[in-house]
Amino acid sequence: MKRIPGILLAFVIAARSAAGLAEAPGTGVPSILVTRQLAEARHLSTGDVVRLSNDPSGKDPRTFRIAGVYEPVPDPMRLTAKRWEARMHLGDLLGMTADPADPAAAEEVSAIHLASRNRTDLPRLQRAIAARAPGVLVAASDLPEGADPFRVLERFHVAISIVAVFGSTAFLLALMVIRAEERREVAGILRLVGFPRGKILRQVLVEGIAVAGAGAVFGVVLAMATQGIVNAFFQWHYDTALVFVRVTPGLAVQCVLVAVPLGAVAGFVASWSLLRREVVDLLRR
Amino acid sequence: MSPAAFALRSLGRDPVRAALGIAGIAIVGALLLDMLLLSRGLLVSFGDLLESTGFEVRVTATDALPGMGPPIEEGNEALRKIAALPEADEAVAVRFGEGCVRLASGRERGVGVFAIGFNRRKEWTILERDDLPAPNAGPGASEVPSLLASRTFASEAGLRPGDRVKLRPGSPGDESVLPATEFRVAGIASFPFDGEGSRTAAMGLPSFSAAHLGGDRPRGADPGGEADLLLVSLRPGESPEGAVAAIRRVAPGLRVFSIEEFLARFGRTDFSYFRQISAALAGITGFFVFLLVATLLTVSVNQRLGEVAALRALGFSRRRVASDLVAESALLVGAGAALSVPLGLALARVLDGILRTMPGLPERLHFFVATPRAFLLHALILGGAALLAAAWPIGLAARLPIAATLRKELVG
Repeated sequence: MKRIPGILLAFVIAARSAAGLAEAPGTGVPSILVTRQLAEARHLSTGDVVRLSNDPSGKDPRTFRIAGVYEPVPDPMRLTAKRWEARMHLGDLLGMTADPADPAAAEEVSAIHLASRNRTDLPRLQRAIAARAPGVLVAASDLPEGADPFRVLERFHVAISIVAVFGSTAFLLALMVIRAEERREVAGILRLVGFPRGKILRQVLVEGIAVAGAGAVFGVVLAMATQGIVNAFFQWHYDTALVFVRVTPGLAVQCVLVAVPLGAVAGFVASWSLLRREVVDLLRR
Repeated sequence: MSPAAFALRSLGRDPVRAALGIAGIAIVGALLLDMLLLSRGLLVSFGDLLESTGFEVRVTATDALPGMGPPIEEGNEALRKIAALPEADEAVAVRFGEGCVRLASGRERGVGVFAIGFNRRKEWTILERDDLPAPNAGPGASEVPSLLASRTFASEAGLRPGDRVKLRPGSPGDESVLPATEFRVAGIASFPFDGEGSRTAAMGLPSFSAAHLGGDRPRGADPGGEADLLLVSLRPGESPEGAVAAIRRVAPGLRVFSIEEFLARFGRTDFSYFRQISAALAGITGFFVFLLVATLLTVSVNQRLGEVAALRALGFSRRRVASDLVAESALLVGAGAALSVPLGLALARVLDGILRTMPGLPERLHFFVATPRAFLLHALILGGAALLAAAWPIGLAARLPIAATLRKELVG
């Protein structure tokens, strides 16, 4: 029999039929589920009998049999928390935590989770519950505007990507200037044989768009190829099933849509300095 | 002519290309600097916050953050043992709780309550009027318990120093049979760990217990003196490591942290995301600088093959040609790096402003903090990128067959 110190009894379920939490047949020992993280850390497996206590000193432990091991729902808000958790029947939890001197303690629950049929009717539902059960705090599980740290992180990452785009644009401009300079003589000859400035400009524009588009596509392919490595590293580091990077089609399109106009602008700017010169100037060696 | 002067002339021949290269390095260098400021910014800023309280050691019941885990049950006994240690100057208990205040509009607002034993060091800064009175302040002391209100709490509840306010235990909307307790507002204060717009009240431990603001013990039984946190300040000359070891000996069941250990724990867990993302982005930006400079220099050398061959034919040694290219790389990166510092600091303010809108963060906590280490690393990474970027073009120039190149260039 193993003793598990300091486990956070975070989740309980009420229905015996759910998640295979039946009492071990013929033993009278109630069953629990433990998280994969807890099972790995404490070398637990299905069928093991463990003792749980709600006191850090291990006082008054209760015996449970592990009915199974589960992967906890990934929660970004608890990214750095150790997910050492167990699921048990509400009655078993109350048996461990309720104050025997308080008859009402066996009725106590921390929260009741509701799934509404119609989310738009949430305020009406809140009013109806408040009228029937005064004193109960009814709150939607959505975080209020401005209280979601992941929106803040999103803004931060967008800001960084904007700066990266500025840096890339400078790089692209430098490349296009070099390319334009390399073809100074070719441009002069084309002008000499009658090619109008507009046509040469269009050619450079197409080239800029092609370079930027190819770069963007390469970036997307690279991101798609490496997202697995990034996810594997962070999932290993935080011991979670959370997905950190996901290259979605929308994101890929957004990336290309930003890059291609920038390529066009870079091509235009680079070629303009060349095309405004006189033909003689362009051909001078 | 020195290699630097020669490199300057080389860059000056194509000012647009040089300017674009410098601009690219400046922007990417700014991002690199920001990632380096971010990598330890939270830890440095949080360390400053912890040090500003004047207490060097913290004691909790478990590894959980103070107030987030179970309290120390026998706080009085632990406090007595710790205070008796020769290393300890002062030891005080801290409790965190929650109360409610009813506004003039009839709506209730939650107030974070912070109670601390009386001590010479203060965790707060008084903005208006008085501090909390000392216990047993003598004849004339008010019978009504005192509290300090944060600016937001005072303004939302319309409170000024000297006013009375009623606080009841629990959160807005809770049903509670516990009565509200009347407090006198001794002063308005700012608290180091308060977020923007936090409603906070600070008070003495006896007032906190009497008003049942701890929440967990509605029946009022607390013979051992529960504490969420014990703060210990050290006598001059005592090391935090020695004090931590001494406290662990007298209170073996408790978790004891020096500021360094506390920060190390945060670095491993709560702040690790920003450390990792900054390390990844610093690596990418360093590589980007290398790529940018290597491309510009390689193209520049390729365009000047004839010139390089002519210089070699005139007697310029391979070493001299290599020195010219290293100097050109150093000039490009050096100018970009110099521009990247003010640009990076300005960008850091913008990014810090974005991240500091995260809910519940202490107002004085910053994500981007300028440290000498960050600037040194910035210079080292950019310098390394400049040297590496120059390697390929140097190889090109050094291996150049002089006669064949000159012939090819002339015929071409």
